Amino acid sequence: MIKIPKSVIKELERKSQKTKKADYTKTFKKNFDKTKEEMIEEFLSDPVTVELLSGPSGSNISGTLNGNSNLFAFIGFQSGDNPTEPILSLLKNTSYKDAGESRKGRKFSVIMPTTDDIFSVTPMPWATGRSWAKGIETGISGLGFLLNKSTSSSRSGVAIQARSKVRSGKFNNRPYISALLKKYKKKFKEIR
Amino acid sequence: MIEQYHHKLTNSFMLWFDNYLLTKGQAYTNHTGVKLEHYSDDRIDSAYKAYGSPYKQWVFDSSVSGAVIPDGVTVGNTPTGSYNSLVSGREGMALDFDNGRALVETSNENYEVTADFSVKDFNLYFTNETEEDLIVENKYTINSRVPSAGFGPIEPYDQVIPAVFFNTNTSNNKGFAFGGMEETTTTITATVMSEDSYMLDGVLSIFNDSKNESIALIPISEHPFNEFNDLKEGSFNYKDLSEAHNKCGSLYINNVNTSKLTDRARKSLSNNIFVGFVDFEIQQHRFRHQ
Repeated sequence: MIKIPKSVIKELERKSQKTKKADYTKTFKKNFDKTKEEMIEEFLSDPVTVELLSGPSGSNISGTLNGNSNLFAFIGFQSGDNPTEPILSLLKNTSYKDAGESRKGRKFSVIMPTTDDIFSVTPMPWATGRSWAKGIETGISGLGFLLNKSTSSSRSGVAIQARSKVRSGKFNNRPYISALLKKYKKKFKEIR
Repeated sequence: MIEQYHHKLTNSFMLWFDNYLLTKGQAYTNHTGVKLEHYSDDRIDSAYKAYGSPYKQWVFDSSVSGAVIPDGVTVGNTPTGSYNSLVSGREGMALDFDNGRALVETSNENYEVTADFSVKDFNLYFTNETEEDLIVENKYTINSRVPSAGFGPIEPYDQVIPAVFFNTNTSNNKGFAFGGMEETTTTITATVMSEDSYMLDGVLSIFNDSKNESIALIPISEHPFNEFNDLKEGSFNYKDLSEAHNKCGSLYINNVNTSKLTDRARKSLSNNIFVGFVDFEIQQHRFRHQ
């Protein structure tokens, strides 16, 4: 029986692990990219995002204002603002890193934004210490809308006409960023 | 209806906020020998005459070091109206700490009444009004803390600024531990309306640092005021009271966020006030079914 030298065995093991690592990384990357894409897609198709992206002339498809006016004017953004861009940018920055070997293969840690990260880049136009993204989930007063209205030329362009309608209703909170991040944190964890 | 958790929470929060602002910020001004002038008030019993000061909301908490808590007034040259524990009240008068006045049991409208007291730099009010109604409607008169000539008594009952308005926004329960313990989270927004930027920044700074503070849960029966807004027991010490109630089950401030109305937004207001917000997230772990 031929005896295989120890050095050859070691070299074979080393090469086989490299191949395994490459396989694990490739599979993980594929699933990670797919999940990340889904997350961004879900964010962009959320009624709140869609409504904000339609600017001052959009309609209240999110239902937060009972169909009156729209979120862009209600929050008090200026015409030309793109309030959802910082969120999109943070979501696009979601990444992963190889965290070494595990008993079943390799470990990867996903680096994704937290709700606090999102809230810190989404200031209210009239009180920059408050987050409009958090406000979607917890409630927003009509203050931005009225302050906008009371300036001689409304910054959102169409806010003035809708004042009475908005004041007769109330803001309906709805899940937004926290729910999205929670869902995808779980999905990223499930990637094998 | 018997007292509920929410009643205790609002009572406890108001008393804590008042004490925290007055002690951490020394947010009061002492006044001595202030003349109280008579004015008519058809809401009070005809046996009383109202003698009012130019300021609302006198400090009533004797745990606030350096503050002058009045125990009666001076009529002519005679100190009068000290609290008498035998009758559980003041003889011949009551102090109205909330409206900054003395209610004297007399038909004489021409007494020479003076008082020593501390006035809060910010009045405190609980409200159900929305932020837009509070700020944009411009319905509050300014009760300046800076004395000027010709100051007379201020109208009772109306809310005036500088002030902090509290509003309980949302409340929810979620499971926390086995055995039915739940985590109750309540958000309270304090809208701060100030005459100047310095005072506003001071309030925001004080409460920005209040994260993780614990608040003793005090039942409404321990509220210091009677029907006249006078002290039920003649004195009130928040520190002692909170220590007596600061057992397991206190409230705590899980999160706090402060912000200011931007200058651009502020300039669109018709009054020249400075506005800020303190958003508190108050939590308690409790067994709500017990």
